[in-house]
Amino acid sequence: MFGMQLAGNLLQGLVLGAVYGMATMGLSLIFGVLKVVNVGHGAFMMVGAFVALWFFNGLGLSPILAVPAAFILGMSLGVLFFYTSIKRLIKAPELASLLATFAMGILLEETVKLIYGADFHAYNWTVGKIYMGVTVMPMSKIYAFLGSIIIALILYFWFTKTRGGTALTCVVEDSEGARVCGINVGRAYALSFSLGIGLTVASGVLLTMFIPVGINPYMGGVYTLKGFVIAVLGGLGSPYGAFFGGLIFGLLENGSYSLFALVPGLEPFAMTRFFSFLMLLLILLLKPTGLLGTK
Amino acid sequence: MKEKKIVKYYPLIPVFAAYLILFLVGHAVPGMWQLVAMLAFYCAIGQAFNIFLGMTGYVDFGYVAFMGVGAYGMALSVHRLHDVEGIGMGVVVLGLLLAIVLATLLSLAVGAVALRLRGAYFAIATIGVNEGFRYLIEGAKIWGGSEGIVFYGHLAKALGNERASQVSTYWADVYIFLIAILAACITLGYMRSKIGYALTALREDEDAAKVMGINVTKYKIIAFITSSSIAGLIGATGWALKLTNVFPPEVFEIHYTVECIIIVLLGGAGTLLGPPIGALVYGLAKYWLSIIIPGFQLFIFAPIILVVIVVFPEGIMGLLRRRLRETALDKFIE
Repeated sequence: MFGMQLAGNLLQGLVLGAVYGMATMGLSLIFGVLKVVNVGHGAFMMVGAFVALWFFNGLGLSPILAVPAAFILGMSLGVLFFYTSIKRLIKAPELASLLATFAMGILLEETVKLIYGADFHAYNWTVGKIYMGVTVMPMSKIYAFLGSIIIALILYFWFTKTRGGTALTCVVEDSEGARVCGINVGRAYALSFSLGIGLTVASGVLLTMFIPVGINPYMGGVYTLKGFVIAVLGGLGSPYGAFFGGLIFGLLENGSYSLFALVPGLEPFAMTRFFSFLMLLLILLLKPTGLLGTK
Repeated sequence: MKEKKIVKYYPLIPVFAAYLILFLVGHAVPGMWQLVAMLAFYCAIGQAFNIFLGMTGYVDFGYVAFMGVGAYGMALSVHRLHDVEGIGMGVVVLGLLLAIVLATLLSLAVGAVALRLRGAYFAIATIGVNEGFRYLIEGAKIWGGSEGIVFYGHLAKALGNERASQVSTYWADVYIFLIAILAACITLGYMRSKIGYALTALREDEDAAKVMGINVTKYKIIAFITSSSIAGLIGATGWALKLTNVFPPEVFEIHYTVECIIIVLLGGAGTLLGPPIGALVYGLAKYWLSIIIPGFQLFIFAPIILVVIVVFPEGIMGLLRRRLRETALDKFIE
């Protein structure tokens, strides 16, 4: 009986983990190229979630169509924030960029609050369910899972097969060397920041499939923290690492919940969170290149 | 020779003057005490955080954890010891001691672990410590778990009703003033000693400082422990004693860390006068905005923060210093 339940939870965790992973690729990309930690990460995801809400409730369109729209909105926000502030903060001490991205997060939260208010909003996209042996999975989650994998694959091919993508990879490896080879490093910074924000906002759309209670402007904080744990699991600065980090995190989160629930006197939900931050610290100390890192 | 020694400490005069004026305004103008108490709280946390963030350049994003354990120190002392025979104010004194002990222990643990990391890795690790600690308290149900500790009744039992309400509405704020002054004295003391020079060297270039034979780890840990134990005191008085309750989601709220960082950066990181200036500007602006446009103060504030970071990275003190260089006021500014 417990085995079935655990297997069901792990399956749910795997599906959610793919979305987590895709959501963290942007965070890792921005850190990898610019060495800037986006503390407003969750707020950007929140913007994506509201794009999905607007598409579904306002325009009557499928949330899947909101993904490209959210991506374009995110790219635009990325360009805007890059040229107004981030560009001047790349060489500044960490303090400046940490506070700047936090301020961006607040600005987004308050702007969305102006439009939608601080209440929770939910939408109900019913596209059937599928019985998977140990658990019942709504099809909307399956679509989010597939969407995440497709986006991750597109990113992978863009990075390895196209000129722009390989140029970015070079900047991550050695920005001075890239400059010597004639790559416009300044533009690479702008591109990776806006691409990272675009991915983050797009991931917010997919995330809404997993939040039955609804979304509100302040939902992002939790996802910022989860994003940090996932990025560290996958080795900070590696977008693919982040994707696999997300899968591992989804499994660990749901698996540990099942185990903590067995221990009397514990509050399993909070213990799951504690466990994830413990993992963050252990990996930062013992293997800062991440679980899959080679060095 | 002797006179020269005193001149070194002139920069404390404007700081003391600012706190004195603030204190007197709070007493003289009716209805002002709440605002003054809030400003003093911001001054104190800014001054305390500056000792670590300003002087070493390391960003501790989980700084609020030290205030949190400090608050728990006071809450635990009052909650558990209130019925000891004849304890009276002793319960508050023990609470302050416990706050320092807990904050120091936590800072030793964090320092031993996280201070090996640098830059963004350090910032993320400290967020992890703060959140991990909060969820451990909630998850394992220690110290009251997510229900927190509510202890006004216990405080009233130990001190009597009237004294208890006086302590929580008036003396808790006065203690904050004293802690802010203590933090200012320690800041200048460090600046004028070997510790300050070592920290400046390590802030500018840690590897170079190491090569020059400075024991960087030792000085980082000194600054870290000093800063965190003062934060513990602030949590014990400014939160626990003032509000007489402690809840994990509130005392480990990351926004307080960000407020500390804004105050330090706005005033000028690594300066003596910066944190109080930053705290007054930030506190008054926040208060004023919450009156003229209630509910939208953050909407206005976020772009202001962005502009300050991009345009005035050295804060108000950076501007002030450039203005006053080579003038008679120069020796009062640090």
